[in-house]
Amino acid sequence: MKVLVCIKQVPDLESRFKPNAEGLWFNETDLAWRMNEYDEYAVEQAVRLREQLGEGAELTVLSIGPDRVVEAIKKALAMGADKAVHVQDPAVAGKDPWQVASIIAAYAKGEGFDIIFTGLQSQDRGSAQVGVSVAEQLGYACSTTLVGFEYDSGTIIAKRELEGGLKGVVKLKTPALVTCQLGLNVPRYPTLPNIMKAKKKEIAQIAVADLLVEEPVAATVSFHAPARKGGGIVLEGALEDLVDRLMGILNEKTAVLR
Amino acid sequence: MEATREIYWNVGHGVVWPMYLFAFVAMGIAAWGFWRRLAVYRQGRALNRVDQLPRRIALMLQGMLAQGKVVRVLDPGILHALFFWGFGLLFIGTLLIMAQADFSVPVFGIVFLKGTFYQLFSLVLDVAGLVALVMLCGLLVRRFFIKPDGLETIRDDYVVHALLLAIVLTGFVTEGVRMAATELAVNPGLARFSPVGLLVARAFASLSAEELLLTHKVLWWVHFFLAVAFIAAIPFTKLRHIFTTSANYLFCDLGPKGALATINLEDETVEQFGAATIADLSWKDIFDADACTSCKRCQDRCPASATGKPLSPMKVVKQIGELARTNPAGNLIDTVSRDALWSCTTCRSCQEICPANVEHVNKIIEMRRNLTLMEGEFPGDEVRTAASNIEVNGNPFGLAYASRGDWADGLPVTLMESGEEVDILYFVGCYASFDKRNREIARSFVTICAAAGIKVGILGKEEKCCGEPVRKLGNEYLYQMMAQENIELIKAYRVKRIVTTCPHCFNTLARDYKDLGLDLPVEHYSTFVNRLIGDGSLQLSPTPEPFDFTYHDSCYLGRYMDIIDEPRQVLLAAGGRLTEMDRSGMDSFCCSAGGGRILAEEKLGGRISAERVKMAQQTGAPLLVSNCPFCLTMFEDGIKTGGCEGELKVRDLAEIVAERIRA
Repeated sequence: MKVLVCIKQVPDLESRFKPNAEGLWFNETDLAWRMNEYDEYAVEQAVRLREQLGEGAELTVLSIGPDRVVEAIKKALAMGADKAVHVQDPAVAGKDPWQVASIIAAYAKGEGFDIIFTGLQSQDRGSAQVGVSVAEQLGYACSTTLVGFEYDSGTIIAKRELEGGLKGVVKLKTPALVTCQLGLNVPRYPTLPNIMKAKKKEIAQIAVADLLVEEPVAATVSFHAPARKGGGIVLEGALEDLVDRLMGILNEKTAVLR
Repeated sequence: MEATREIYWNVGHGVVWPMYLFAFVAMGIAAWGFWRRLAVYRQGRALNRVDQLPRRIALMLQGMLAQGKVVRVLDPGILHALFFWGFGLLFIGTLLIMAQADFSVPVFGIVFLKGTFYQLFSLVLDVAGLVALVMLCGLLVRRFFIKPDGLETIRDDYVVHALLLAIVLTGFVTEGVRMAATELAVNPGLARFSPVGLLVARAFASLSAEELLLTHKVLWWVHFFLAVAFIAAIPFTKLRHIFTTSANYLFCDLGPKGALATINLEDETVEQFGAATIADLSWKDIFDADACTSCKRCQDRCPASATGKPLSPMKVVKQIGELARTNPAGNLIDTVSRDALWSCTTCRSCQEICPANVEHVNKIIEMRRNLTLMEGEFPGDEVRTAASNIEVNGNPFGLAYASRGDWADGLPVTLMESGEEVDILYFVGCYASFDKRNREIARSFVTICAAAGIKVGILGKEEKCCGEPVRKLGNEYLYQMMAQENIELIKAYRVKRIVTTCPHCFNTLARDYKDLGLDLPVEHYSTFVNRLIGDGSLQLSPTPEPFDFTYHDSCYLGRYMDIIDEPRQVLLAAGGRLTEMDRSGMDSFCCSAGGGRILAEEKLGGRISAERVKMAQQTGAPLLVSNCPFCLTMFEDGIKTGGCEGELKVRDLAEIVAERIRA
């Protein structure tokens, strides 16, 4: 059985983001990089499935991007993936989700994966479209926002997070693609022997040009910080005084007391 | 009449053969007992603790004979030391008798136990016996009647007390009966040199000569067999500490305090990290369990123990010994328990006070290494997050690495990347770089240096966590990742001298980084500032007026680096009036943040920081001064949770000094 997990390397969200010169994406100077949080859940679940399947199963991790994404790939390998594919693309940030999905689908088409894991969305772009688009392009069954995953002989039982705290359970026949949400699992911390082993695992390099066929369907028009709105007010002083002032503000500026 | 006595009086020289036979049998049993235990120690990894042998032997003799570590806790310490010296003199006395009766007389016909020397010999041994007896009774009362908290009494304690008491008592009675027959009436001048024996002799004076002879003969043999039993019992009871604790003085760690083995991460043949079973520990770790006398001094001082956490350094050591003897393949970590392992703050209080030179802390870290490196475990999810923050941003807070140098905006510091020459590299550390309260330390230190004309360089956003907290939690891999990046950077900038404001950074850069190739003078700002004051570069004005304070010795400056006086000198020079806490200097009580605990929530037991803050408050001083960003953080917290707000403030030494620079 073959399993694929797709990961993205994203900037740490505590970093300071500034628009790049073209104003279409962020400037990469001074950013710290890490594996997309949702992809960590995907990797963890894929590794657990790999462990459940045992001998004969193979877990491949795939990431698209410049050389630096190898760091994220190595982490997935240390967590337990068997081998990796690095689709080399220094300009991946400029591609739209449909194109990114098409690159993955182009690679996956010939490989015959039974299950594909992706994160629910990326922390930087947050389109939540890549996973579902890959399923669409491959013609796989698909379920999103997983907070529970079980697999038994060709059937996935997926617990999904719905709006308003509701959960839903769906069954999928493989081949299938699932996108993973916070709460699905706690990603493991790679052990040192596994980190060492990961150094020797194969990372296949594929040029993006070999896989990319689609044209973008959605163009980024502008990337900028939200316009500054009025700042918050910090009230200081004696308690009684504070209550009066707060009441005054609520009365004057809001409708909550009316 | 001459002052001497007949050796083997009444029992006759015929006892020599059976006596030596039994003595050798006893020694044989003792040797066999220790030999059997050797196999237990051999289960551990190799470790060279017999290099620099002359120095080690000197340390051992000093430690044994002077009993210096034993008397550090006064009451039981003095009882033990006096008993040891008393019993030791009796042993020497017995050897002298042997030397004369079985060597110098039969071979050369020389009698040296006579005249004034014999009088002195007699008096000294009599007094030594009395001292041993009284001390033994004191120890007995302490153990069986006072029963100090935490002192565990086992079979061995009954055996050892009974045996020793019986040996000393039968010794005195045998002597007294002999004196009743040979000295009391005949040689009263000599009897005065055995005051205790004389008392006993008088008690037996009414017995007839035959009765005295018979009583003496029986007692002599009883005393002899007790002594033989004592020798044979050594390896099988706590008495073994006579040899094992002494040997532990010989096997002491001569390296820098707190040094951990730096794991070679390049060696791909290694597949086991840290200690999961007995075989992963060193032989010394197993031997320590036999050297331990269960005096529970470590447990008494352990901040985790004191606040109801499931850690007793003594129990950890004992559990290792027990496992090594009974189930060597058993799981070490399950035996000790994860909660116990994660509770340690590596404050080194246990190790500092241990009269047996047991090394507690590194055992715990070796087991932690196994948990983190082999199992990917952490004391809590918050620590896992902190570790991944360190990986990504080089600080446990997860704040943008690019903002690491922001605290210095507008201050006279030079970024090393500018290429300018500087006097010192200030290695700021994560807390002074990012934590709002602790940034005051960094700013104050820069202000002090500016006043003293010192040009300060910082690495700014290029600096990373020194790796200390994760290393002490067992994550050697992450530590070395951080360390290597820092070291490469520091080397590339051709730094000549490093100063830190954090004792954890200080220990790590000064000692641990040596193993990874950084060999530079590194110091803590307290000694640096003290020198600036001393050579006149920094002038303080003890104004506006003198202030009262109490001072907290951080573990990693005090116990780990022996820096006790310098920070106090600085504070006194700044106009401080110091009131010490009971637990200060080498006996200081941890703030709770060491051993990587700064990254972990304190979920078990009471709050260590609140305990320490309470101790500070009890001095009556309104100000607690610390020298470490971790301590400052914990005490700010302890003051709030301990309800000392308004009564006690905590400040860092740098803040105090910066305010009192003479304009």
